[in-house]
Amino acid sequence: MGNDSEWGFATPYEDVGGEVAIVGVGESDHTKASGRTAREIAAQAVERALDDAGLRPEDIDGIMYTPVAADFDERAFREHFGVSQELWVSRQGGGMVWAASAPYEAALALRSGRARHIVNVFSVAWATQRAEMVGGPGQMHAEELFKQSLEVPFGWFPQPVYFASIARRHMHEFGTTEEQLGAIAVACRRHANLTPAAVMRAKPLSLADYLASPKIADPFRKEDCCLISDGGGAYVMTTAERARDLAKPLVTVAGIGLGNSRTGVHWAEQGEFTSTPQRFAAPVAFAMAGLERSDVDVLTCYDPFTIVSLMQIEDMGFCPKGEGGRFVEGAALHFDGGVLPYNTHGGMLSHAYVLGIAHVVEVVRQLRGEAAAQVPDARIGIYGGYTGPQAATLILRRGDA
Amino acid sequence: MLGRADFPLPDTEWGPTRPFWAAAARAELAIPRCDGCHRLHWYPEPRCRRCGGERHTWEGMSGRGTLFTWVVLRHAFLPQFGDGLPFVSALVALEEDPGVRLATRIVDCAPEALAAEMPVEVVFRPLRFAGVQGSVTAPFFRPVE
Repeated sequence: MGNDSEWGFATPYEDVGGEVAIVGVGESDHTKASGRTAREIAAQAVERALDDAGLRPEDIDGIMYTPVAADFDERAFREHFGVSQELWVSRQGGGMVWAASAPYEAALALRSGRARHIVNVFSVAWATQRAEMVGGPGQMHAEELFKQSLEVPFGWFPQPVYFASIARRHMHEFGTTEEQLGAIAVACRRHANLTPAAVMRAKPLSLADYLASPKIADPFRKEDCCLISDGGGAYVMTTAERARDLAKPLVTVAGIGLGNSRTGVHWAEQGEFTSTPQRFAAPVAFAMAGLERSDVDVLTCYDPFTIVSLMQIEDMGFCPKGEGGRFVEGAALHFDGGVLPYNTHGGMLSHAYVLGIAHVVEVVRQLRGEAAAQVPDARIGIYGGYTGPQAATLILRRGDA
Repeated sequence: MLGRADFPLPDTEWGPTRPFWAAAARAELAIPRCDGCHRLHWYPEPRCRRCGGERHTWEGMSGRGTLFTWVVLRHAFLPQFGDGLPFVSALVALEEDPGVRLATRIVDCAPEALAAEMPVEVVFRPLRFAGVQGSVTAPFFRPVE
């Protein structure tokens, strides 16, 4: 598997394996349109992450949030908690790809002593704001001027259309079927049905239900597409050494990799149309961790659409490229006996649309043995973050060896 | 919202894509070629992503290509798409360089008859949207007879 090519490349990373621990995780309430602001949602998630870690707001001296929406920044943190300390700040945090790559930036800050306890936070109120957004979460894409001129007028907009196009091409190149995409949706829904915090906890989905659902962007049905919900999450990082004195079982970062596509958000032009930059990210993370794919007990991936799950499973090397459809069939992704338990909280398809931060929370809970749909004796877990232009693999380990 | 009353019609005066839309108005399909590496340069961003070149020259294409992938839109993701449903949004790989994939619509063909790699040719049609004044001539594609 090449780690550099005409269409993408891996960001060079120093080895930070084993240096960082995730010591506290928290989620806000996940809801449909709630009238809450993204800042209120983030504050609730951070409070819960601090409680989980057994840390006080005064202990936090670093904050990370997303470059795309700074709803809970250092000023909001100080105001909300009534504290005044200086905070190390990184805008290379938040959700999506950054929920996976933030621990790398945190590792460098912890190593140099710029911070001791760092919180990474992300939230959205997009269910509440949806009516004001052109194309919903497509708003940012509608504002990109090349897309506005060359894609939107042709109806190649918003994200469901890009990814339905990718799914169609994947079907052509590799023989992937609707039933195989459906197996992903069904596995995620089953996990959400077992997860009290999941938006879709009370709504079962069978493969027959999936196939009976009308197509909205053929080949996609609405069940291929993620929810739109209000919610957020946060996690607290410190050194593995300090983590041993804290309340919860130790979970450390074993490896991280970051991959990039040279065509950015212009998906139509990506050299390998049916791949993600996980192809470049995953080898870096696995090499840093000194682990094999067969060592992984639970996988979570940023899953805006079924096909994005399928591609990342392939591109991380859990099966050869093109065989993802056959790999995910039946109960392969189920938490209880599947070959690769996947998005065990329900993911963005069925748990909540919090853009990956809840995936990291879920992996940490799995490795502590605290998850709702618990994989027995889970020791190694992964979050695959994705934005389109970038993807990152975050490998977490129970304990530190 | 996006500052233009005619959204989602393209802004045909926006510099980087003005030659594309001006050519379409003359029923021509034009794509820029990088003056540095002589490869087609799509999208027409300021710098060539392959060689970094900052100069490119627009040239006429044959208008032939193959259907790379497509989606049948049955839901209006924008209210302005509403009265045109269902329609087929697609990527067409150009004959001159199949690595260039043009977002377009496929017309004059039932969605069930579409197949990946089928030969297609450009046809110029007015682009119109529900509730939006005016129209813009745009390159759509149809199966080759």
